[in-house]
Amino acid sequence: MWNPYQELPSGTRRGLGIGSVSLVLVIWAVLSGLSLVAKAKLPAPWECIDAFIQLAWDVEKGESLLWLATKASVMRVLVAGVVVCLIGIPVGILMGASPKVNSALSPLVDPFRSAPIVAIQPVMVMWFGIDELSKILFLFLGAVVYLIPMVRDAMQAVPRTYYISARDLGASPWEAIRHAVIPMAMPRIADGVIVSISVMWTYITVAEYVNAKVGLGQLIANSKRFSSMPKVFVGIFVIVALALITYAGMTWLKKKLFPWEAT
Amino acid sequence: MSVSVELKGIGQSYPPPEEGGEMVEVVRDVNLTLGPGINMLLGPSGCGKSTLLKLMGGVRPYNVTSPTAGEILINEEPCTGPHDDAVMVFQTYANRPDLSVRDNVALPFRFGLWKKRVPQAEQDQRVNEMLESVGLAEKAELVPAQLSGGQNQRVALARALVLRPRILLMDEPFGALDAQTREEMQHLLIKLYKQQPCLVVFVTHDVTEALLLGDRVLVLSTRPATIADDFEISEPRPRSQTWSRSTEATKMKERVLNQLHESSTGKGSVRVSI
Repeated sequence: MWNPYQELPSGTRRGLGIGSVSLVLVIWAVLSGLSLVAKAKLPAPWECIDAFIQLAWDVEKGESLLWLATKASVMRVLVAGVVVCLIGIPVGILMGASPKVNSALSPLVDPFRSAPIVAIQPVMVMWFGIDELSKILFLFLGAVVYLIPMVRDAMQAVPRTYYISARDLGASPWEAIRHAVIPMAMPRIADGVIVSISVMWTYITVAEYVNAKVGLGQLIANSKRFSSMPKVFVGIFVIVALALITYAGMTWLKKKLFPWEAT
Repeated sequence: MSVSVELKGIGQSYPPPEEGGEMVEVVRDVNLTLGPGINMLLGPSGCGKSTLLKLMGGVRPYNVTSPTAGEILINEEPCTGPHDDAVMVFQTYANRPDLSVRDNVALPFRFGLWKKRVPQAEQDQRVNEMLESVGLAEKAELVPAQLSGGQNQRVALARALVLRPRILLMDEPFGALDAQTREEMQHLLIKLYKQQPCLVVFVTHDVTEALLLGDRVLVLSTRPATIADDFEISEPRPRSQTWSRSTEATKMKERVLNQLHESSTGKGSVRVSI
């Protein structure tokens, strides 16, 4: 039992996972089904399924609210994610490549990792309005402050022999960075991208809190306003599912791109 | 081939590891002229062998003045930084795990300096020849993780020699290998040296290795390193077991071991601050 390196058969592994999730579902069903917790606070699982079906296909309007919301949120995360990578990776690389750049920029970046990014949302709204721009910028800011330091750390974690040996073989300083340090840092940079994109899913509700016409965060906020707890739960579950899918997809991609990382 | 490395009154001190401490003197007043051949650099561990070796190739630490004293001449010209004619092979292979063996050997040709100097066709030819020489021609498309430690060190060696350096610096290159692989690598080095004679400086703490490979053996004292002994071996390579057991070889071995023993226990190891 207490052996961190024990290899579990896949059956056992899955069984334990499914078991624990089922247990929580049963407790949930019992608590809500027997009204041990007020209906307004905790909807029953089947109510959530009803709400899911309703959101998935609105018969009267002939459209899927859930799909529209998901599409909008995914697009926001995608656009912000691309911008985060386009800016975060180069900045992190420059910081990791030069202690001088790092000293100049880290006081501007590092404190934000522990800053209440959520509190910045009203500021973003004041500065950039209530439209798409401020939402994307908010997501961007929330994620980029994680990505930059992680990219920098990835660069600094590369053993210095790679740099020294490349320089010794005739590389200019930048060539040594480009051909020896960056390639070695790539797997950890990929980890940074995975973490920061995952972080965006936790910020999406905040981003869509103000004046979103459509989106999962908006769906949750709206459902709360109309006291529809089942719909709030559906929204949360969908976001969690999307985050898990994004994570799994990116982890898979990373393994494909950097199969050598373990060595 | 004329090539020379000359050290004139070389000294190297590093700032104290803790604030307020004394400067750590690693190398003191080394005067030395090296010519073509395999020069073995022996010394007790931590005595400053590597520091001296790096200085010879122009590999400088980033954060300290280096050398602290004296002057280094490569081919009679002062050397202050990385030297084009000198290439270093490290104990850690520093192979790129994402590149094939071939691309690892060809890596220096991605750098502007060598791209300009060696035309593409010659680059390919040199890489193929080198892969052949180190016995990795059939493994050219594999990646480092698929190779053994010895094979990885061959890649590193090939990457250095593909540049046809006039000065080859080796920092305990076979130190991490098992005994048998180590022997294979020593024979490989002898073969490669025959193909591409140059000035080799080879750091080791293994006396047998020094006697097996060296044209000249330099023994360093403990920190601060000074030249404690310096002799030549005229026996042609490859050296047979019979020679290794001969009186001549045994005497040399004793001479080196005594010197190493003396310098690691003797009074010479007093640390002096600047």
